[in-house]
Amino acid sequence: MDFKIRAATREDCKEISRMIMELAVYEKMPDQVKISHEELERDGFCQNPFFESLVAEVPEEHKSKEGFTVVGYALYFYTYSTWKGRSAYLEDLYVMPEFRGNGIGKGLLCKVAELGKKKQCVRLQLSVLNWNTPTRDFYAAKGAQDLTLSEGWHFIRFDGQNLDNLANEAPKD
Amino acid sequence: MANFILRTAEPRDVPDILRLIKELAKFEEMEEKVMLTEKDLLEDGFGDHPFYHCLVAEVPKEQSSDGYTVIAFAMYYFTYDPWIGKLLYLEDFFVMKEYRSLGIGSQILKVLSEMAVKTRCSSMHFIVAENNTKSIEFYKRRGAADLSSEEGWRLFAIEKEELLKMTGK
Repeated sequence: MDFKIRAATREDCKEISRMIMELAVYEKMPDQVKISHEELERDGFCQNPFFESLVAEVPEEHKSKEGFTVVGYALYFYTYSTWKGRSAYLEDLYVMPEFRGNGIGKGLLCKVAELGKKKQCVRLQLSVLNWNTPTRDFYAAKGAQDLTLSEGWHFIRFDGQNLDNLANEAPKD
Repeated sequence: MANFILRTAEPRDVPDILRLIKELAKFEEMEEKVMLTEKDLLEDGFGDHPFYHCLVAEVPKEQSSDGYTVIAFAMYYFTYDPWIGKLLYLEDFFVMKEYRSLGIGSQILKVLSEMAVKTRCSSMHFIVAENNTKSIEFYKRRGAADLSSEEGWRLFAIEKEELLKMTGK
């Protein structure tokens, strides 16, 4: 199947937002999606963007059942490792189910790797849910290591009231 | 009780930041994994496009240890969650052994939380090694959630060699 991978534009945010929701449904957490295409437009296309994004597009004749030609996306940003320096973090990678098996996911992943390499990133990190075996296998086949398994790293989060409580106790300037 | 100030790191702090990075890596039993140099830290944190931000804690000369007055640091950057938007990611957080239990770590965490809220971040994220029970307790006491245990998230990394294979070069 013919497809094209390109940098997302502000106009793609509505499609990306649609697919973010599809991915959240797959990950069994749709009620956790709190932002819409408006926040994506604001945060991804401002002077100092908080993320970068790629989309996968198919020609009109291969569009999806509902008529979509943007059928996959990758959302990533640059991070920093105090051990190794510049890194990239792949936050989301998604291809609509009817377009899988055509190399689109691999194309998106490789493009992110290439863009990271251009910025001298030495590592690409991402996270996967432990029950998501197809995805874990996809990344393992490309040489990814499960650091939670091999080194015992756990993700920790502060949010909502707990974050506010901490913030309110900060010393005044 | 130590007298200390918290401030934004400056280029002159780079040697101290690298020293503290190595001390933290030693504490995590992974000292040999630190490949960064002072030159990298300078370029990556204080160049045109900073990849990180840093806070340092400083004590007066008379309370210094081995002549060091910069005795703690926190390195962070902003990330993005497509479900909730901007996040503050805490990459490294360390207080030298002799200065612990004085409220310095607690103060750093509060300042970072305030910064997160001020910059409209929904959340502050970071990773902790599961055998680091003291740190896990420190965070849990303040209301942190362990997403690996609670939601099953696992951290993956693809290193340079494998990345190069993917770019076909």
